[in-house]
Amino acid sequence: MAATMKLTRTEGRLFARDPIALFFGLVFPVVLLVALGALFPGFDEPVAELDGGRYIDTYSPIILALGIATLGLVTLPPILGAYRQFGILRRLKTTPVHPVRLLTAQLVVHGLVAIVSAAMAVAGAAALFDVPLPQSPLWFLLSFVLAAASIFAIGLLVGALVRTSVSGQAMGMAIYFPMLFFAGVWIPRTIMGDGLRLVSDLTPLGSTVQALEDSWFGTTPSLLNLGVMAAWAIVASALAVRFFRWE
Amino acid sequence: MPVIEVDGLVKTYGETRAVDGVSFEVQEGEIYGIVGPNGAGKTTIVESVEGLRHPDAGSIRVLGLDPIADRYEITERLGVQLQESRLQDKIRVNEVLDLYASFYRNPADWRDLLDRLGLGSKVTARYADLSGGQKQRLAVALALIGSPEVAILDELTTGLDPQARRDTWETIEEIRRTGVTVVLVTHFMEEADRLCDRIMVIDHGRIAATDTPAGLIQRIGSEQRMRFRPSEPLDDALLTGLPDVTAVTHDGAQTIVTGSGNVVHSVTSLLAQRHVIAQDLRIEQASLEDAYLALTADELVETGSEVR
Repeated sequence: MAATMKLTRTEGRLFARDPIALFFGLVFPVVLLVALGALFPGFDEPVAELDGGRYIDTYSPIILALGIATLGLVTLPPILGAYRQFGILRRLKTTPVHPVRLLTAQLVVHGLVAIVSAAMAVAGAAALFDVPLPQSPLWFLLSFVLAAASIFAIGLLVGALVRTSVSGQAMGMAIYFPMLFFAGVWIPRTIMGDGLRLVSDLTPLGSTVQALEDSWFGTTPSLLNLGVMAAWAIVASALAVRFFRWE
Repeated sequence: MPVIEVDGLVKTYGETRAVDGVSFEVQEGEIYGIVGPNGAGKTTIVESVEGLRHPDAGSIRVLGLDPIADRYEITERLGVQLQESRLQDKIRVNEVLDLYASFYRNPADWRDLLDRLGLGSKVTARYADLSGGQKQRLAVALALIGSPEVAILDELTTGLDPQARRDTWETIEEIRRTGVTVVLVTHFMEEADRLCDRIMVIDHGRIAATDTPAGLIQRIGSEQRMRFRPSEPLDDALLTGLPDVTAVTHDGAQTIVTGSGNVVHSVTSLLAQRHVIAQDLRIEQASLEDAYLALTADELVETGSEVR
C-alpha cells in the first residue's frame, strides 16, 4: 500500500513536470470554454439553430468529454509506451512490487487530473456564462465516472499494444480525432442527422456528451448512453488485460 | 551452499536454441563472470535466473528458491540491473531511490548508498541530467536498495568511457566487500579478469569453459615470449640450449625467445653471465582475451601460436 501511494505521488509529480500534459490535460478545457465564450459573439445567447438553446450549454459537456479524451487517448498511451520502451515495467518486475501497480498509479493520476480539470470547467462555465451547476449531480457523477472508465480503458488498451512512446502517440491520436468528431466537437449532436447520431451514440465519447448533457440539465441519462460507456469500459479493459505485455 | 544453482537450462526462441543445456553454480561471496559474444545467450541465462523468462527445460534455484514460483521472495533478496533499462527523464535521484526503497521490507539507507557510489552530490539531479556513468551507478544503487544477498549486473559498463568503467569496477569490488554475491555479465575481458573469481564462457548457448581467469589463460598454454635487443651479438645456440626455451627467432635487431616455465629466469641468468644487456625487454604472456578468443572461435585455433 505504501508503495502504491509512493508510486502514485511520483507519477503525479512527473505528470506535473510535463508542461504539455499539464496544459492540455488540466487547463485546456476551461481555457477553451472561456475562449469560445469570450471570442464568439452570441455564444452565451439563445439561437434559432439550437431551438432556442445556447451554444455555451451545448459545448460545456462536449468540452468536458474532450478533456477526458485528451487525458485518456493523448497523454496516457505515450507514457505507457515509453515505460515499456525504456524497460521501466520490466525493471519493476524484478522488485517485490508488480508493475500493475504502476498502471494503477497512472490511472489514479489521470483520474484525479480529469476530476480537477472538469471541476474547473464546470465552475468557469457557471461563473462566466451562467451555465447552471449539474442539475442531477449523482447522474452527472455516474456519467463522468463511466466516461472516464471507458476512455481510459481504451487508452490502456492502446498502451497495452504499442511498443514505444511515439507509436502510443500516433495510435492514440488516430482514435482521438474521430472520437472528437462523434462527440460533436465540430458538428454538435443536436444538429447531426439521425443516422450519424446513432453512430455517435455507439461511440464512448458520443454517449459521454449525451449523458453529461442530460444530467447537467436535469434529465436522467438514457440507458443506451450509460450502457454504451459501460460496455466500452468492460470490453476495452478486458482486452487491455489480455494483451498487456510488460516488455 | 551455492547461492545460484542452474541445471540443464534450455531456452528456445522459435527455431533458435538461445540457451542449450547450461549448468553452473555460483558460490556465496564470489564475483561470478558470464562472458561470451553478443547473442551467445548470456542475458537469457541471467534473465531466467531473475524470473523474467520462463525456461523450456532445466531447473534454477536462487537462494534455494524457484525464480518463477517464489518470485516475490526472490525479488526481496536478489538485486538486479537490467541491460538497456532506463528511468523517466524527469525523475530525481532521491525520488527514485525513495520510491524503490518503499518496495522492500528491509531497504538499505539510500543516502549512504549514494555516498558509497559517488553520487552524493547528485541527490536532487534529474535522471536526464546524469552522465552515462552516473546513470549506471544509479542502476547499481537501485539493484542494492533492497539489501540483496545476490546482485546480477548485466553489461554494466557497456558504453562507458574508460575512466567511468574503472570507477564502476571499484564500485563492484566495494559491493563484494559488503558480502553481496555478484553475477557480472560482460564482454570486456579486462573487466572479467580484474573482477571475477570465476568465469563462465558462453558460446552459442553452451558453456565453452568455466574456470578462474588464470585457469582459463592456462588452458591455451602457459607460453611466454621475451622480446629484446641484445647489447652484444648472442649465439642462438646458447639460447636454444636452455631447458625451457622452445624457439628463438629474430625480428630485425630484436631477438624473440619463446618458452614455458622458467624461461624468463633462464634467459636473464644467461644474459647476466655473458654480460649482455637485454635492451627494450618486453615479456608477453597470453591474456584472458586470448583465452576467450580461443574458446569462442568458430574454428578451433592451434593454441601454441596464440601467444601475443
